[in-house]
Amino acid sequence: MRTVAATSPAADQAATPEADQPIEPGEIGSDAAAPSPPGLDAQALIARLARPAPARIDFVEVRFSPMLREPLIVSGELGYMGPGNLERRVLSPYREQATIRGESVRVEREGTPPRSFALKRAPELRALLSGFAALLAGDPAALERNFKVELSGDEHAWTLALLPLERAQRRQQITVNGSGDSPRCFSMRSTAPASRGTRDTPGSANIMLLGEAARIALPEAPTIDSLLQRCRAE
Amino acid sequence: MKRTRQALLLFALWAAALAILGSFVQRQLVIGTDLTLFLPNPTTAQQRLMLEEIGDGPASRLLLIALEGAPPEELADASRALVETLRDDEHFRFIANGELSLDALPQALLPYRFLLSPTLDTQDFDVRMLHSALQARARDLSSPAGLLLEPWLPHDPTLELLKVIERWQPMQEPHREFDVWFDRQGARALLIAETKAPAFDPDRQRAALEALHQALADSAGGDLRMVVSGAGRFSVLMEERTRSEAELLGTIATLGMIVLLLIAYRRIGSVVLSALPLASAGLAGLAAVSALFGTVHGITLAFGFTLIGVAQDYPMHLLSHRHADHHPVAVARTLWPTLATGMASTCIAYFTFLFSGVAGLAQVACFTIAGLAVAGLSTRYALPALLSNEGPDYGASALLERLWNRIAALPSLHWAAAALAAACLVVVLLAPQPMWENDLSKLTPVPSELLRQDQEFRTQLGTPDLRYLLVIEAQDSQQALARLEALEPSLHALMQEGAISGYDDAARYVPSSATQQRRQQRLPDTATLRAALRSALADTPFRADAFEPFIADVAQARTMPPLTLELLRDTPLGASLDMLLNERDGKASALVTLSGVQDAAALHTFAATAGEGITLLDMKRASETLVVDQRIRLLWCLAAAALLLIGVVTLSLRRVQRVARVLAPMALTTLVILAALLGAGVSLTLFHLIALILAAGLGLDYALFFEHAAHDRAQQRRTLHAVLVCSVSTLMVFALLAMSSLPVLRAIGVTVTLGVISNFTLSLLLTRPTAESGTRS
Repeated sequence: MRTVAATSPAADQAATPEADQPIEPGEIGSDAAAPSPPGLDAQALIARLARPAPARIDFVEVRFSPMLREPLIVSGELGYMGPGNLERRVLSPYREQATIRGESVRVEREGTPPRSFALKRAPELRALLSGFAALLAGDPAALERNFKVELSGDEHAWTLALLPLERAQRRQQITVNGSGDSPRCFSMRSTAPASRGTRDTPGSANIMLLGEAARIALPEAPTIDSLLQRCRAE
Repeated sequence: MKRTRQALLLFALWAAALAILGSFVQRQLVIGTDLTLFLPNPTTAQQRLMLEEIGDGPASRLLLIALEGAPPEELADASRALVETLRDDEHFRFIANGELSLDALPQALLPYRFLLSPTLDTQDFDVRMLHSALQARARDLSSPAGLLLEPWLPHDPTLELLKVIERWQPMQEPHREFDVWFDRQGARALLIAETKAPAFDPDRQRAALEALHQALADSAGGDLRMVVSGAGRFSVLMEERTRSEAELLGTIATLGMIVLLLIAYRRIGSVVLSALPLASAGLAGLAAVSALFGTVHGITLAFGFTLIGVAQDYPMHLLSHRHADHHPVAVARTLWPTLATGMASTCIAYFTFLFSGVAGLAQVACFTIAGLAVAGLSTRYALPALLSNEGPDYGASALLERLWNRIAALPSLHWAAAALAAACLVVVLLAPQPMWENDLSKLTPVPSELLRQDQEFRTQLGTPDLRYLLVIEAQDSQQALARLEALEPSLHALMQEGAISGYDDAARYVPSSATQQRRQQRLPDTATLRAALRSALADTPFRADAFEPFIADVAQARTMPPLTLELLRDTPLGASLDMLLNERDGKASALVTLSGVQDAAALHTFAATAGEGITLLDMKRASETLVVDQRIRLLWCLAAAALLLIGVVTLSLRRVQRVARVLAPMALTTLVILAALLGAGVSLTLFHLIALILAAGLGLDYALFFEHAAHDRAQQRRTLHAVLVCSVSTLMVFALLAMSSLPVLRAIGVTVTLGVISNFTLSLLLTRPTAESGTRS
């Protein structure tokens, strides 16, 4: 039996020896896993990030995949409608709406029939969403149920590295960059090959620039590194 | 009880015989629950198909499941958990909640997606088609679905697998919430499960239901409720209700009987001994059926014990006729001609059931004949030897004498009987409702609110109609698949016209080899595909080498032999496909199930013009013709039984006048019962007819005994006592059944209750000795 989910990078790689090696925290984030400065406490920071529902924020998402010659860029608006209820509205370069409620994701795009699937089938997405939701709820306990959380940087440019506790998802690392009370970037990266038959690097990554960061024009040919650089900048 | 050595020895022998018979029965007895045993043998092809489908067809094996009582998200999660838990459960062929699962097609069969998907019927894998597919995939990749699809895209940029799996979904797609089926209000998550057990196997259906509830309890808690509907669920429900009611009524009847016997005979010993013939009858009946038929149907048991309950009358006659000066053995000898006439004629009436063409009725007949014969013979030859001479002689009872005198003073009512007969005939002829009930489902009626709910689930889920079904006969499965494919445009037209809302057949899952080969020929060779892909990729963000796995899969699909049903046999689909298409004895027969049937006339027209070997099966009509056929046979049986009965009585009594006196109450009672039932708006069923025979047998007994007692005053009182006790006890048992909520039990109860009252009254009025004959002795 085969499922799409079962051939996901995480599942595929779980069988290889190095799959057990977690990505070092901080690899994506700041230049070093600098010890968190006095006065910056992960729990307090996460609590401060809470947004009362409904909350909306602009985003630009850049998608890197081993299948792609150049990254895909979409922009739009993210909506947090309450626990377990997210909306992702793409406004450019085409229109698309994704609704996430509970365990179910529904994607509607102009000109195509709507498609929906269960999060169970996309464990990476589920990990990503659980991290996102916990931040929006300002719930450090919920975050720590699924991730090892490490905080670095200072009040003006902090980095939260989220490392999934679930063994099958350890190829994935989620990084949140922010300044003060507002997150700037939400990125997910996996170093695994996306599937058999594609090259091993550079792996897949989703980098989502939020709010202010989404409003600054992107570089001509964005790379993962150049975008992460922008995420860290004040 | 007599305490002589002889009597004790006889008692011991009898007890030992019962024990041996009991152990034989216990070892041999296999209780069957297959209800089709009580359906008549089919005589037409339609009836045969109907009987195959009724318990065994895919539609009747479906259970419809609704989860409710929680927010939709929770219901959806519970629905998924249920599918996860029960996917490989031994009780189910499949369970589905509408969620598309890409693992429906096993890994090894994945390259077949190009041959199973209809894409290549209308399109080619050319530059234009590939280009638009790649653009759509780029958008998919940056959507939340991207993480899900990314690993699969290099193999399948046109998402053929998804198209195949979507095609395998029910045609009339139920409403969805959170990817699983819901009702339109979004309040109930809906699932369907197909049981391995046929619908009319209540025991295995019960096990399946328990597995469902267990799975729900394991995976979800709280206020979540599960409602299950479908033929299997109903058969469990009806079986439980019938059993529990029969048990309750049986217990009350037994207790009532014991009390009555103690009041009537005032000797515990006598009462205990009088149970021996009945116990012997039950065991003999069971032994006879299990020896002759192998299995005993549950219904045979229930019916049989109801019918041989009458055997309790035999020892009661013996006890009531106790004579102060005669030993019970002598009493039994005097009673025997009368007792034997009643017993023999009843047995002969049931004997005709053996030729009813219904296996279940033959079992009932066998059980009853064996039981009654054993009860009668043991009452004559064994029981008297055990009874002591003590106890009251009812011939000396002053109370009974007064009663008898009062009865004897009643006017002779021959003219009234004639008038009654005429009135009854008028009622029978003028009753507005149909005389016969042809609808099988009325016999075991499911509560109407459950039926409404079932209908609602069916509409929401678009599950196959239980009444209409298309049957396609072909030489082999390939020809059957080809015929199904040829029917597809007409079936679509029927959908367009609104005659049906959807259909399902094997060709939707596996196209014929010819179709697969046609698609195969349209697959481009590797060089062509590579060139087309290169051009299509030009202005997309994908890498040039991203779709090598796709090229490899297409190359493999070009050379594979077509997918056959055999290859799918061990997949989740296999079992369902077996139901839709089976090849047997060098012939294939395929089913097209229909859902949301709105216009039956259009279906009939379609089937009539669709060509040879395509039949529209109307289960309801087929079952009705079956019931009618069955009834006609049964009525012939009854006519034969009536003639035989008259013959036995004539042979025994020898004088036309006596014969007429004995038969008149019974004949008139039959008319009275029919008039009462039809006048009250009841249509008659098989069970009324069986009960009529029982009532007739009782009437014959009463009349024979009254007739027998005609010349002796003391004997008249004893007979009055016997018939009083017998009729009161029978009345009590069947009045209890008449109060049942179940039509089958009620039909028997009401019929026999009416019969006892009418027979007793009419026997007194018509058969009782005239004043002259009473004073003659």
